[in-house]
Amino acid sequence: MLRKKVIRDLKENKGAYIACITVIVLGLIIFTSFSMVIDNLHLAQTRFYNQQNFADGFAEIQAIPYSEMDHLKKLKGIDNLQGRLVKDVKLVLKDQDKNIYLRLISIDPTQENNINEMVLSQGIPLDRQEMNIWVDNKFFETHQLKLAQEIEIIASGKKKNLRIVGMGKSPEYIYALRTANDLFPTPETFGIAWMPLERMKTLLGTGETVNNIVFTLKPNTDYKDVEELLIPELKPYGLKNIFARKDQTSHLILTQEIQGLEAMARSVPLLFLAVAGMILYIMLKRMVQQQRGQIGILKAFGYTRREIRRHYLSYALIIGTIGGVIGGLLGIWLSFPFTTLYQIYFNMPGLNSQFSLKYFVMGILLSLVFAIFAGYQGCKKALTLQPAEAMRPPAPHRGKKIILEKVSFFWQMLTVQGKMAIRNMTRNPGRSLFILLGIAFTFSLLALPWSMKDLSQQIIFDQFEKIETYDVKVALSHPLPQKKVIWELNHFPGMKRVETRADIPVTLKHNWYKKDVVLIGLPQNSHLYNILDETGHKMAPPKNGILISGRLAKLLNMEVGHSITVESLMMKDPETTSKVTVVGIIPQYLGLNAYMEIEALNTLLGQKNITTSIMLRMNESDIPALQKAYNQSSAIDAIDHQASMLAQIKELMASTSATIYIMLLFGIITGFTVVYNSAIITLSERNRELASMMVMGMTPAEVLSVITFEQWFIGFFAMILGIPLTQLMLIGMAQSVSNDVYSMPTEMTAMSLLYAFLLTSGSIWLAQKIAAKKIKKLDLVEVLKSKE
Amino acid sequence: MAPILVAKNLSKSYQMGEIRVDALKDVDFEIYKGEFIVILGPSGSGKSTLLNMIGGMDQVSAGELYYKGNPLHTADLKKLTLFRRHTVGFVFQFYNLMPNLNTYENISLATEIAEDPLSIETVLEEVGLSDRAQHFPSQLSGGQQQRVALARAIAKNPDILLCDEPTGALDFQTSIQVLKLLKRFCENYEKTVIIITHNAGIAKMAHRVFYIKDGQLTHIDHNENPVPPEAVSW
Repeated sequence: MLRKKVIRDLKENKGAYIACITVIVLGLIIFTSFSMVIDNLHLAQTRFYNQQNFADGFAEIQAIPYSEMDHLKKLKGIDNLQGRLVKDVKLVLKDQDKNIYLRLISIDPTQENNINEMVLSQGIPLDRQEMNIWVDNKFFETHQLKLAQEIEIIASGKKKNLRIVGMGKSPEYIYALRTANDLFPTPETFGIAWMPLERMKTLLGTGETVNNIVFTLKPNTDYKDVEELLIPELKPYGLKNIFARKDQTSHLILTQEIQGLEAMARSVPLLFLAVAGMILYIMLKRMVQQQRGQIGILKAFGYTRREIRRHYLSYALIIGTIGGVIGGLLGIWLSFPFTTLYQIYFNMPGLNSQFSLKYFVMGILLSLVFAIFAGYQGCKKALTLQPAEAMRPPAPHRGKKIILEKVSFFWQMLTVQGKMAIRNMTRNPGRSLFILLGIAFTFSLLALPWSMKDLSQQIIFDQFEKIETYDVKVALSHPLPQKKVIWELNHFPGMKRVETRADIPVTLKHNWYKKDVVLIGLPQNSHLYNILDETGHKMAPPKNGILISGRLAKLLNMEVGHSITVESLMMKDPETTSKVTVVGIIPQYLGLNAYMEIEALNTLLGQKNITTSIMLRMNESDIPALQKAYNQSSAIDAIDHQASMLAQIKELMASTSATIYIMLLFGIITGFTVVYNSAIITLSERNRELASMMVMGMTPAEVLSVITFEQWFIGFFAMILGIPLTQLMLIGMAQSVSNDVYSMPTEMTAMSLLYAFLLTSGSIWLAQKIAAKKIKKLDLVEVLKSKE
Repeated sequence: MAPILVAKNLSKSYQMGEIRVDALKDVDFEIYKGEFIVILGPSGSGKSTLLNMIGGMDQVSAGELYYKGNPLHTADLKKLTLFRRHTVGFVFQFYNLMPNLNTYENISLATEIAEDPLSIETVLEEVGLSDRAQHFPSQLSGGQQQRVALARAIAKNPDILLCDEPTGALDFQTSIQVLKLLKRFCENYEKTVIIITHNAGIAKMAHRVFYIKDGQLTHIDHNENPVPPEAVSW
C-alpha cells in the first residue's frame, strides 16, 4: 500500500521530481559519454600503437649513413631502430591555388616489423623499384584521389610523378600537423606519403644517408638512458632534435585530449549530481515535514522505523534509478556521435563506440549513491519522532528580527513583501544556500564555455591580426644569408616589405629544468611580427638577453633576471653552450617560444647573418605569382599564405562551437531547475501565507513577488559569487587543456559575464513564470480553513 | 435604501470526478449597508460556499450576484481580485497571519494595497494591541492573534467584513471580545459584517440570521432587538 503512496506522491509533485531527474540525467550523460569516449580513445590508441609498433623515440639528423643503423641498433636498451628519410615536398595539383605539402617518409620494404608501420586500408604493397607511394587516408579522401593515380610533386627543384598504390593510417600521424605551430590537421594542404627508401634516395639525391631515426625500447628501459647513449653517436652527423614519444606532437595532443576529457568526466558530473542531491534533499525534507501526521499514524499502527525509512528512501531510490537509467542510456547513445566527432580529429582505426554495460551500471550506482545519501539526510529527522509527537503539528515557526533590519535606510525602502522575503531567507538558511550555490553554478556553467569560446577566438585572431601580421611567410629548407634573400625578394612585383627571421630549435636549461623550443630571432624594428606585452604594447626583441613566454617561464621556473643556458645543434660548435639573461616574460598562447633580436641570436650561435624564413608584406594579388615563382625552388620548404590559413581556422572553429551550445543548454536547464524547485517548495511551504495574501486582494503577481524577490535577491549575490567561481573553473580548465601548442588564458571576457548574467536571469524568470501558474491554482478556501 | 449585495437564484456546483455536487442551489437574498448578518448551518450545508461567492473567492456556476449593481457572477478572476482588494475583509478561524511579519507589518500588508485604509495606529488601538505592534505572531496568544487578523481585515476599510467561524478556535471570554470588536466596526463605521458559524448563540446579536441547509437558504430570521455581545452565551 505504501508503494501506491509513493507513486501518488511523486505524481503530485511531478514537475519538481522531473526537474531533479533532469539534472541527474545531465550529469550522467557527461559521465557516461565522456568515460566511454575516453575508453574508446584509449583502446584504439593502445591497439594501434602496439599493432603498428609505434616508436618510443625520434631523432632528426642532418644526414647519417644508413649503414650506421646496424651499429646504433646494438646500443643498450634499444629494441629496434630504423633510419628513414623524411622530407616535405610540394604537390602540384590542378585547380588548386593553395600550396599543398606532402611529407614523404621512406619505408625499407626489406625490413620486417617496421616501426610506425602504416595500416593499409586499400591498395597493394609498395614496389621497391617503382616511384610509387602510399598516402594517408584523410589526404586521399579530401582530394578525392584514386588508386593508380599519378600525382606530381616538386622535389629538389624538379617535378616528378608518383603513383598512388595504397592508402591508410599511421600511428605517427593520428593528429597530423605539419608544424608544431599548426592548430588543426588540415588535409586540404598537408598529407603524408610513404615510399620505398631506395627510390626516395634517388628522388632527393641524398646518397646513402638518412635524416631521421625512430627507435623502440626494450621493456623496462628508461628513455633518458638511451637518449644519453644516442646523442654522442648522432651529434657528429648534425643532430637537430631528439625526443621521446611523450613529446611527439600527435601523441602529445591525443594524450592531452584524453587527460582533459578525464578531468571533465571526473569533476563535472559530480557537480550536477550534487545539485540534484540538494534538490532531492530539500524536497524530501519538505515532504517529511508535511507528512508528519502520516508518519505518526504509521508509527502508531506499528510500522517499524526501518519500514518507514525504507518507504521514504524509496522516493530517492526511484528518482536515482530513473535518472541513472535515462542518463546512462542517453550517455551511451551520445557516445556514438561523440566518438564519430573524434574520428574527424583523430585518425586511427578501431575508434568506435559500443554499448558499455560497465559505465551504464557505474552511472546508475553513482546516481543512486547521491540520491540515497541526499534522501537519507532529508528524511532522517522524521524517524526519530515518537508517534504521539509526530501526530501533533510541529512547533510554530518563530518570526524574529534579523540583522539586516538594523540597516534602517535599506529596511525602510522595502515593501512589506520585501521584508517578508528577506526574513524568509534567514528562516531557511539551508535552502537559501542551495539557491545561492545553484544559481552561482548555473552562472559559471554559462560564463565558462562562453569565455572559452571568446578567448580561443581572441587568441587566434590576435595571432593573425596583431602578432604575425605578415601576408606571406617563406620557410627556407636550409639557412641562407639574410642580405641575399632580402635583395631578391625586394625586387618581386607587389612587394611592400621584407623581413628576415630565424627560427632556431634550441634547448633552454635552468637548473634541472629543461625544454626544447624554437627561439625566434627578429629584426629590431620588425613590423611584420609584433611581440606584445601583457597590456598589448609592442616590445622590441632584445639585443641583450632573451624574452620568454609565460608558460615557458613556468615550465623552466624562471623569472626576469635569471640566467638561462641555451644549447642548439645549430651552434657553430654544437658542443658549446651560451648563457643569456631573461629580460622579459610575455604572454603567448599559441606556440611556446623565446625571442631575441636576430643579429644577437646569430652572434649567440656563432653564425653570420643567417635566416631560416622570410616574412613578407605584399599585394594580395601578387601572391599567386610569388607562389608560382618559388614553388619549385629547392631552397624553399613552404610558402604560407596567412589569409588562407585564417580562413581555414575560422571554418574549423565554427564546427567546434556546437559543444559550447550544448554546455550552455545544460547551464540553462540547471538554473531553471534550481529556481523552479525552490519556488515549488516555497509555494507548498507557505501556501497559507500566500493564500491569505490572495484573499486580501493581492494579485498573483503581487503574491509571487514575495518568492521572486527572495530569489532575485539571492540570485544577485549568487551571480556575483559566480564570477570568482567561473575564474576558478577557468583556471582549472586552462590547466587541463593547455599544452605546448596552445595555452588558454584565464581572464574572463566581459561579454561572457554579460551573457551569463542575461541567460541566468532568463532562466530564473522563466522558472518563476511557470511556478506562478501554481499560485493561480491555489485553492484559497481549502488552504485557509485548514488547521495550521 | 438600496441593498449592497443582491443574489438571485445563486447556485454553485462542483464536479468531483464523475459526480456533480450541488453545493448551493437557487439562493436569493439582499444584504444592506451596516447590517450584522449571521449565516447559520451545520457542517457541509453550503455556508462556506456562500461565503466564498460573496467574498469573490470563487466563481458562480449559475444565477446572479451583484455588488452595488455590478455583476459578480460574470466577473473574471482579475475583477474578483480587485473586488476582494477594495471591498472585502476576511477573518478566518485560523488566523492566517504571516509568521515572519510583526503585528504592525501584518496590518500594513493589507493597508499597502487598500485605496482608503484606516490608520494602523487607530486600528491597533481599537483592537487593544497598541503595545503589541512589534510582536511577531509566535509571541501572541490565540485571542491576540485573532485580534491582529481582525485589525488587518478592518484596516483596509472594506465595505463588507466576512468572518468564517471567527471564534471557532477561541475560548468563551476571548470570543466575546472579538465579537464586541466586530459589532463596534459594524456600528461605528457603518459597515456590513457577515459571520458564518454553526454556533447558534452568536445569532442573537445579528440583525438578520440566514439558515442554510443542504445548499439551500431555508429561511431568514429578522431580529428586531439584537442583543449586545456581552449578553451572548453558549
